Amino acid sequence: MSSLHKGYLRLAMQSIRASRVRSFMTMLGIVISVMAVVVVVGLSEGVKQQVGNQAERYGDNVLLVRPNQHANALTGSGLPGGTGVLLTQRDVQAASASEGVSIVVPMSSIDGDIFGDQTIKSATVIATTPELVDVINQGIDYGGFLDASDGDHVAVLGSDVALHLFNDNAPLGQRFTFRGQSFIIVGVFKQFVAAPFSLEADYNRSVFIPLGSTEKLLGTAPQINQLFVKTKSDVNVKQVANNVQAAITASRGGSEDTVTLSPGDSGASSNQVLQLLALMTVAVASVALVVGGVGIMNMMLVSVTERIHEIGLRKAIGATNRQILRQFMTEALALSVIGSILGLVGAGVVIALLRLYTSLQPVVVWESVLVAVVVAITTGVLFGSIPALKAARMDPIEALRHE
Amino acid sequence: MSLIELQDVSKLYGFGDATSVALDEVALTIESGECVAVMGPSGSGKSTLMNMIGLLDRPTHGDYLLNGRRVSRLSVTRRAKIRRDKIGFIFQSFNLLGRLTALENVALPLLYKGHSMPKRNHEARTILERVGLHDKSYFYPRQLSGGQTQCVAIARALVNKPELIIADEPTGNLDTESSRLVMELLGEIHKSGNTVIFVTHNPELTRYATRVVYMQDGAIKYDEQTKLGEVGSYARKVMYAVPDTTEDDDLAGVSALMKIEKPNEKTTKPKKKRARRKATKKKTTKHKATS
Repeated sequence: MSSLHKGYLRLAMQSIRASRVRSFMTMLGIVISVMAVVVVVGLSEGVKQQVGNQAERYGDNVLLVRPNQHANALTGSGLPGGTGVLLTQRDVQAASASEGVSIVVPMSSIDGDIFGDQTIKSATVIATTPELVDVINQGIDYGGFLDASDGDHVAVLGSDVALHLFNDNAPLGQRFTFRGQSFIIVGVFKQFVAAPFSLEADYNRSVFIPLGSTEKLLGTAPQINQLFVKTKSDVNVKQVANNVQAAITASRGGSEDTVTLSPGDSGASSNQVLQLLALMTVAVASVALVVGGVGIMNMMLVSVTERIHEIGLRKAIGATNRQILRQFMTEALALSVIGSILGLVGAGVVIALLRLYTSLQPVVVWESVLVAVVVAITTGVLFGSIPALKAARMDPIEALRHE
Repeated sequence: MSLIELQDVSKLYGFGDATSVALDEVALTIESGECVAVMGPSGSGKSTLMNMIGLLDRPTHGDYLLNGRRVSRLSVTRRAKIRRDKIGFIFQSFNLLGRLTALENVALPLLYKGHSMPKRNHEARTILERVGLHDKSYFYPRQLSGGQTQCVAIARALVNKPELIIADEPTGNLDTESSRLVMELLGEIHKSGNTVIFVTHNPELTRYATRVVYMQDGAIKYDEQTKLGEVGSYARKVMYAVPDTTEDDDLAGVSALMKIEKPNEKTTKPKKKRARRKATKKKTTKHKATS
């Protein structure tokens, strides 16, 4: 019987080739939905990995301490916080005193306009300590990072800010004014890997100044939005995280309004959002798959109607109902398989293009490929069976009379 | 045992008052090796008879024995398999699949038998050689002349080595020359031992038949044995009939055809019932003619 199956396949391919445009239109639904599923799942998985990578960029021994009420906030840019609970120098001291901690770097976000050659409105200015560069594993392209010996009126720029403010990759020695204070640029960061949908500030668009300058800028002690806590080597990072959390809670008199994130869960909240997003898109794509199936059904109904005469003839010369059914089922199967393959190829192209030309780094998730293809083929065959049954049950005389 | 035995086969369409009779208790026995020409005006039930014999249709009443086996009540699948193994169809409109080459068209019935592709192609090529078209194996139907197309269709009908070949007006769409080509081929097939039944409107073509059946109103009106190469006597009358309608005939709406439907000694009367019916008809004809 295998030769018979090959025969069906040949027939199916012949009929698909005979009407290429229509066959492609038939497949389009399947193509698009397979593409959508693979690309979207790949995108969200890619973003997830990027968020993960970001945590790794800080090093797997870096903890984040944040005000708790903002741990689940969805601020797209800027350091989380700015209102409500803030961290203080006492928290920094408590964290530093915890067992297993080597460095604590406070990050304090100050908003305001920056006046250089150009003006940047509401720039993200982050006041921090010179140790930051030891924690976040990020190289300096030009100059150096903040140094305690430089005094308070120095600044290091993110690469985008440098370009924007002075139209220069390395505006070392240039000055800008921020809240009435003048700063000399001593360094420019290398391009940070951008992480879309991340809770982190976009450091490429940030200006880093010494924590000591905040007093002059604001007239108060620095209000800290986030702490980077680097643990000593050879310690249990989770254990240290617990120690830090306990110390800070204790220093706040038992108030649990801060949260300490270990490298593994630093992107946790955004992951959940991403997963939800991916799920929703997969749901939409599944609807698209069903629509693709309906498309196959409609086009095959047309195909069957067009070929009534042919079906009559095939029956007259001895094709059984089952054989006609198989022929059309094979056609539906071939359409959905080819459609799926085209969809996968399309998804591959889109993913490659996104990787090349955007900061997004989508990946191919094999499970999504498998699910998309299986669902596409199943719907194609299920919906294809309706016209196939119609063809199989045709009366040969009626069909032959049909022109 | 006869190859085909129709026992009072009727085919009705519709219900109640709208019932129309396509076949009216047709009794017909065809022996293996006969070449039967079926004639008759449009709507006389020729095609229904062909469909019935070809197992495309089921009789409403009556029985159909093929090779002594009752096939009139078989399942759809069984009948499809009998069509596949024992019957070859030739159609007026050729009915080749335009997307397939001549060779693939011929091999099509073998596909449904489950033969492997090399075997299918080999057998199809052999048959195409037999009909003299092996050099056109890879031509598509649109690249062939009408006569050639019908020869390919005949090859397709022959490829499963059927016991019975049914041709419904095989020359209906062909010019005289192509008709001759196709009929010569059918005649040859008959001579090589096949049973052939063909429908025709052309009395000339009864030369290829050993028997002529004339149908009217779903019933067999005449059924005569003829010699090969001779036009059937009844067919000859149709052929050479000079229209001799008078104005009166026209007024009465009686065609010249009715006038020549006089009983003939040479034609066999199929059944008493038929004879009775004919008699009544004759009476009315006469009555109209004299009036």
